[in-house]
This record gives sequence, structure tokens and C-alpha cells, in this order.
Amino acid sequence: METKKIHPLIPEAQEELRKGNISRRDFLRISTLLGMSLASAKLLAACAQPPASPVATEAGPAATVAVTEAPKAGPVRGGVLRAATRVERVDHPARFSLVSQSHAWRHVFEYLTYTDPKGITQPYLLEKWEASDDLLTWTLYVRKGVKFNNGQELTADDVVFNFGQWLNKDVGSSLLGAMSYLDASGVEKKDDYTVVLHLNAPSIFIPEHLFQYPAAIVPKTFGGDITREPIGTGAFTMAEYVPAERCRLVARKDYWRNGEDGKPLPYLDELLMVQLGEDRSADLAALQTGQVDTIIEPPVSVWEAVKDDARFEVVSTPTSATRVLRMRVDQDPWQDNRVRQALKYCHNREKILAVALQNQGTIGNDSHVAQAHPEYVDIPPFPFDTEKSKALLAEAGYPNGVTVELVVASDWPESMAYAQALKEDAAAGGFTINLKTMPASQYWDGWTEWNLGITWWAHRTLAPMLLPLAYIADADGKPVPWNETRWVDEEFSKILKEAEATLDLPKRRELVGKLEEIQKERGSVCIPFFMNVWKIYDKKFHGIVPSPEEYAIFYETWKEA
Amino acid sequence: MARFIVRRLFTMFLTMFIVSMLVFAIVEIAPGNVARNILGAYATPEQEKSMENQLGLDRPIIIRYISWLLGSDWQVSRRLGMPVKEIVISQGVVERYHQWWAVDENGDLVQWDVEGGKLIKLVRQPDGSVVQVLDDQSWKFDEDGNAYFWGLDTANRAALWMPGQEGTEYRLEYSGWIEAADSPVDYIPMSKGLLRGDAGISLRYKRPVSEVIGRRISNSLILAALAFSVSIPIAIVLGLIAGLNEGKPVDRLISLGGLITAASPDFATGILLIMIFGMWLKILPGATVFLSETAIFKDPRMLILPVLTASLVEIGYVLRITRSSVVEVMNSAYVRTAVLKGLSQRQVVLRHVLRNALMAPITVIMLHVNWFIGGLVVVESVFGFPGLGNFILNAALYKDVYAIEAGAMVLIALAVGTQLIADIIYSLINPRIRYA
Repeated sequence: METKKIHPLIPEAQEELRKGNISRRDFLRISTLLGMSLASAKLLAACAQPPASPVATEAGPAATVAVTEAPKAGPVRGGVLRAATRVERVDHPARFSLVSQSHAWRHVFEYLTYTDPKGITQPYLLEKWEASDDLLTWTLYVRKGVKFNNGQELTADDVVFNFGQWLNKDVGSSLLGAMSYLDASGVEKKDDYTVVLHLNAPSIFIPEHLFQYPAAIVPKTFGGDITREPIGTGAFTMAEYVPAERCRLVARKDYWRNGEDGKPLPYLDELLMVQLGEDRSADLAALQTGQVDTIIEPPVSVWEAVKDDARFEVVSTPTSATRVLRMRVDQDPWQDNRVRQALKYCHNREKILAVALQNQGTIGNDSHVAQAHPEYVDIPPFPFDTEKSKALLAEAGYPNGVTVELVVASDWPESMAYAQALKEDAAAGGFTINLKTMPASQYWDGWTEWNLGITWWAHRTLAPMLLPLAYIADADGKPVPWNETRWVDEEFSKILKEAEATLDLPKRRELVGKLEEIQKERGSVCIPFFMNVWKIYDKKFHGIVPSPEEYAIFYETWKEA
Repeated sequence: MARFIVRRLFTMFLTMFIVSMLVFAIVEIAPGNVARNILGAYATPEQEKSMENQLGLDRPIIIRYISWLLGSDWQVSRRLGMPVKEIVISQGVVERYHQWWAVDENGDLVQWDVEGGKLIKLVRQPDGSVVQVLDDQSWKFDEDGNAYFWGLDTANRAALWMPGQEGTEYRLEYSGWIEAADSPVDYIPMSKGLLRGDAGISLRYKRPVSEVIGRRISNSLILAALAFSVSIPIAIVLGLIAGLNEGKPVDRLISLGGLITAASPDFATGILLIMIFGMWLKILPGATVFLSETAIFKDPRMLILPVLTASLVEIGYVLRITRSSVVEVMNSAYVRTAVLKGLSQRQVVLRHVLRNALMAPITVIMLHVNWFIGGLVVVESVFGFPGLGNFILNAALYKDVYAIEAGAMVLIALAVGTQLIADIIYSLINPRIRYA
């Protein structure tokens, strides 16, 4: 065990684990968030668990794989991975608001931390971090000897610069809403490799926020456009980037991490990412005829087509990713909560899940909290009841029903299916829904502005990490940049703040349950389902990690010779 | 003939001129305006006004049209009182990045910025770096004594700063609205104009239209050329065989085949071909994956299925028209005469039937050239082919006005060009046709 002081919250969490209030995974998550190394945390977890309990749960799947499959030779070097994806227009990574904007660039730029597929956050560009007992002061230790691809070394100055960008209103990063516990003035450089964060409010999510896709680390000289300055610490350099068409990444020789063979990563020589048209309709044919090796962020239709195909590895992961029907509460008719509730009553959730996802997901209760979140409380959604909807509309002053325009991106089949199912069912409930379809690029260009629309939301590890992005106001009382519905609820914001600072999982679960209840009753969104996601790739490739966030990480990917 | 060609070219330029004005006018009177289409229906009036101002959309339509056609740099140069210059640099992965600079009396390249009410001159050094110089003495004053300054900002726009009444600039980024203070109150976007080879900046890609569209045109031309060289000879030969054997089993067979290929929608044939040759037989790639710009030359096999899909439809049409044309000619008096005077079947067909029967198919083929290049949206979509059809479709959906304009210009040039070629071929085939 480490000789240095252990954060006082860790023994508490260990106690919870002993009592069975939290799972081993939750304990590992919490203790690593508080700066403990994963190995030490595992040791503590083993101490806390009764000997009879199956210690192997965590290692279980890995062990079975090792037994059932013939021992594989280690990674082979060389080769090219061809991936079908979207190649987005980008400028500043802090302004990324689509996971797809990060697919290519996360191989050029890296993050301070890394959250593994099990939700455990580990140091990455940081060597380690420490949190004060009151969770108000965080010390980040920058890893030494990491070099940008222009030869410059990564230091505390770069880290401070990046925090400055994320917290600068003029840059407009979504991290500004997520990191509401921090001001730019609270970021202090202690020495060349140490940065101290002084928080306004206690929070344990800093390490996880540092792995959010807009938190890519750029050098302190960065001017604001990564296509013009593709200078990062990652294992690849960007050789070509044509938005909406393709990009090419080439392996770097002097990357700081080593592979299993003791030589610097990556194993692959090149990554090629290509976008096959605006609607990506040719992706499946390209995969099936061997022209690409993987489809990043595959839709359910691709999963259906290849799930039984022996050539492909298909890995399924439940997530908190969803399609959010969002109602602008500062505009008619959604100002009236009764109208919002009425629309919630028009949701035939089982049917929507079936038509939109072939049941590849879980039912939502109109709160942005999913079963994939550790804090989830099972609160049943409003039932499908069009009579109730009509009554609510009449009460709200729409006895003859109401006509609304629903904006949907035609490239997202789940959203389209959801919209069409809702349109049919809501007609009986008094809603005449006119669908306005447009390409996703156009939807995104005004996504915070539509009156009624279905927005694509990515997965976040924890509910209290996700909710502050879209359902609160900033310090001046204005809705945060991603608050697409302008919904701000005093009680909700208060409980959320409390939940953000609550480490104890049973207690946090209680608070999140209240948040779910509020959002279900008077919130501004309808969320009928949460989706599964898939990694689908040619079996010749190994080392592609599943990711509920749908991050594409090919640093340790290798191809059979 | 030369006079005829000159006249045709003149007509072409006149058509392009008129259509370009029409496209401008249609975008202008279409419900909503360009700024609204970029911002969405729920932007605030200030945000919309700021966006229109930055894109120069608040200026009169005539001025905007002239700027699109002839450029705005000379207008700006007059306001600034110094020449302006466009330089192209390469930085990062952006191969060609355009920058506009003013040239001051020392011959230096300069831009301006205002920070905290102070005018700052940005002087470009020979090595590409920029030195900031305080330039507060350059403010000009109007008759009321208010300071103002016209300069070039760092985003390729001429900008008017007026201290004390700075506008707030709203920019719509992916993550939402961004407000910037100390901003200019008026803008003129810089451009060279279409006649000098600058088709404007695509609102969708934020890159020069000419750079985005160029590759699309060449891709589509290659696809169309291949499809034509496959389909036309086959269609004409089959049509001729069918027409010469009117009513016989071989005619029935060919006619039926032509009907089937012409009637099957191209997305259905495309997907069927992918399933047969790509997935079942596994001998051909099922999509055109452009892993590099020259991918179709490195792996031409991936063009086979798109070309085949496009050709099948074309073969059906041309075959049927050739057949009926041949049948008609075969029944004409001069063919009967030729047969009766004892010419061999071969001579009759080659010298009398073929020439006369080809007029109709050539008309159809030439009309289809345009459709092939601009209208193959379905084939492009099925195979993920980055062609012109998809480009124009998406530009129209997005109301990317300069991209629509460029697409329209290309298609008109093609339409008139192919018609010209058709006319020349008519006169070669049928010496009775003379153009003066």
C-alpha cells in the first residue's frame, strides 16, 4: 500500500463497500477519482470484500476469453486501419460538440486522464492527481517527458492555457457548463509540472471531465484552428484532412507510450477515415465487401445486418446515449408545463423502442438519467394515455389540440423512426406534428435554436456529469451554452449541485432520484429510450476498446499479419 | 460553322449570366433569407442582423451580385485608400489558405484589430509571423468629429470600426452563440469575383467553392465518361440488331431486356448488383471508398458497379430509341429503293439505315449527358461516390448560395456544350444539315 496519506473519503467508501451499499466497480471508480492508483484501490477493495464474495467478477469476462480462445500471438506492427465515419468541419477542440469531431483528432491530441470502458478513470497526460479533504483543492501533476509533435515539451503552462480556453466564454466550450465549479482565476501554476485547481464548489468529477471529448490538450501557442496547427502529443500526425470526405493519419516515431513489445506505440502505420456521402448510406456495403475495416458509430441497421456475420467482431454496450425530444420552454406552446406533460403522455415507449432500435436499448422516463448510470433510480415513465394528453391540452387552453413543427435530422434513422411513431400516436392526443427534416449538418448548425427538435445526445459516465451540461443556468442566470430548451428550475439546480458534491453513492442515488422525478414531472425533454452502441470491426484487428461514449481509440490497435 | 460555334458560345454566356441572376433572385425571394437558413428559425433579431452584416448580406442585392461576379476587392481598396492583396499560404493540413491583406505605403502587408478602443495594426513579416503596432493616429473623423476607420480584419473582411459604438459580433459556432465585443459595425467580405476565378466561400464548408467543387466535377466526369463509353456502343448495336429483326424472337428478347433495365430504378439495380457481385460472389467492391484523392485510379475496380448501374438505365433508353428509329427508317421509301436496286444488306444498313437512324439516339444521348453529371444523385448515394449531384443537392438543402451558383454554372456550360457537340455530330452524319 502507498505510504502517502490516503484521502479520508476512501476509507468511508471502503466501509460502504463492506456493507454492500456500493459495488466493487463503484469503489474502484471513486478511489481512483480521488487520486489513488488502480492497483492500490483493487487491494483495498479485496480487503473490504467478504472472502466468500466472487472476487473474480471484474476479471471474469477477460478470464473466459483467455480460456476459450487459443492463446494469441502478441501485437504485430504495421498495417492500415480504414474506418468509415463522418469527417467533420472543426476548428477549436474546446468547441467540439459532436463525438464524431473527435474521432480523428483524438489520435493527434490527447487528454489529461483516461476513463476505461468500465468507467474507471486513470491518469494519462497527468502522472497523478490529489484532492484535498474538502474536495475544493485539486493538485494535478503533469507527466514529464511528453513531447508535442513539434518537439515542444508538455508543461504546466500548456495545462493552464487549456483550462483558460475551456473556461473562457469567448471560446464557447461546452466544458464551461460542465466545469461550473471552477473559474479561470482558480487555476494556478505551482511549478513547471504542477497545476493547482481552487474550486468554487466541491466536486469529484474533475478527472472524468478531463476525458470529455472537448478537453483535448493543445499547446500554449495554439491559435484556435487545429487544421492549421495540428500540434498535439498523440501517436499520430494529421497528414490530410478534407471535411466531409476523408482524412489520413500517420504514425509518429517518438510517441511517449510504449507498446507490449517495448517500442513506442502505435502498432498501426496509418489510419484512414472516410465519409461516404452526407447520409453514409454506402457504409454497410463498404464494410461487407471489405473496403473498410470498421464503421465508427454504426447505426442499428448496420448492427442488424452484420450481427451474425462471422467475419466481424460485434461488441454491444448499453449507454446513456439517447435522442432527446427537446421543447423550448421560452417559446409557445412549451412554456406551459401541461403541454409538455401532454406530449409525454403521447409516448408509446415500447413501440418507439421497437421501431427505432429493434429493442436494442432501455426505456427512458423523460429524465436524462439512464440505467447505465450508477445513480439510476427506477421511476416508471408516464403511461401511454392520449385521453390524459387531450385533457391536459384542454386545461392549458388548447381544447382543439395544437399544431407543432418537429425538426428532425434525416441522417439519424432512430430519430426519424421515433418522430414518425410519435407523430402517429400523438394525433390521438391532440398534437398535430408536422415533421421538418433536414441533413444533420443543418440540424447541428442551429441545434440550440429549434422550437421542437430531436437532438442526438452522447453518453456520459455519471448523471451528475450530464445534467449540468443542458439543464442549468450559468453564474449570470443565463442558460448554459448547451441548454437547448432554456429550462432552468431552482429546486432542480439546487439538488443537482448537491449531487455533484456527493461522493456517497446511496446518498447520491437518493438525490438523483429526486432529479429524475422533477425532470419527469416538469422537465423540458421527452426521452423514451437509451441506446446500445456497438463496435463493429473486421476480426483481423485487435485492441479496439469498447466505449459507451462511442470514442474511437486506435492507439493500441493492431492488425494480424 | 465557326460562326455558328461563336454564336452558340455567346448564347451560353448569355444563359449563364441570366441564370446566375435568377439563382441570386430566387435565393433572395425564397422564404427566409440566407442568414436565417444558417442560423435556424429561432435566432434573435440581433444575432441575425450581426450574421447578415458579417456575410455582407445587408448590402443591396445589386452590389452583392456585382461583388460575386466582379469581386469586392476593388471596392474595398477604394474605401481603404490603399491596394489590397490576396495571398495563399499553406499551414497545417490546410493546403491552400487564403488571406487578404492591405499593402501600406512601405509595401508591408497589414491587417487591423481593435482592442480596448485602441487601433492595432498587424504587420506581416516576411517569415509569416505578425507584429502588432499601435496605430491610433490612423483614426479618421467624420464631420461630427466621430472617429472611424475602414480596415481589413483577420477574417478576410473589410471592417468599419467606430469607437464608442462598437457592435457586438455574434458568431454561431457548433457549441452555440458566441458574443465578441469591440467589433466592427460594418463588414464587406473580400472576394475576387467569379470572372476572376473566385466563386466565393461555401457557407457550408467554410472553404472556397472552387476548391470543393473541382474534385466533384472531375469525379462525375470520369463516372459519366465511363458509363457512356460502355453503354452507348452496346445500346446502339443492340438497338440496331433489334430494329433490323423487327418482330423476330431476337427483337422481342432485346426489347424486353431494354424495357426491364430502363424501368428498374437505379437504386434497386445498384443494390442488387452490390448484393450479387459484392456480397455473394465477393469479386467486386460494393462502394467507392475514396481513401485518397486518386483512389479511382489506384483501384479502378470500385468504379465497375456504379458504372454498370448507371449504364443499365442508359442502355435501356438508348436501345429502345435506336430500335424504333431503325424500324422507321427500314420502312422508308429510300431504303426500299436501295434494296430494290440490289445493294447488299450490309451496304443498305451501313450507308442508309445507320446514318439516318442515329439522329434520334444522339439527341437523347446528348440530353442525358447533363443528367448523368448532375443528376446521378441516387447512384452517388448508393455507392458513396463523391460526385457533383450529391454536392448540388446538399448545397440546395443548405441554401449554400455560392455553391448552388457554381453548380448551376457548371451544368449550364455542360448543357450548352453537349448541345453544341450534338449539333456538330448531326451535321457530320447528315450532310443535308448546314449551320450558318
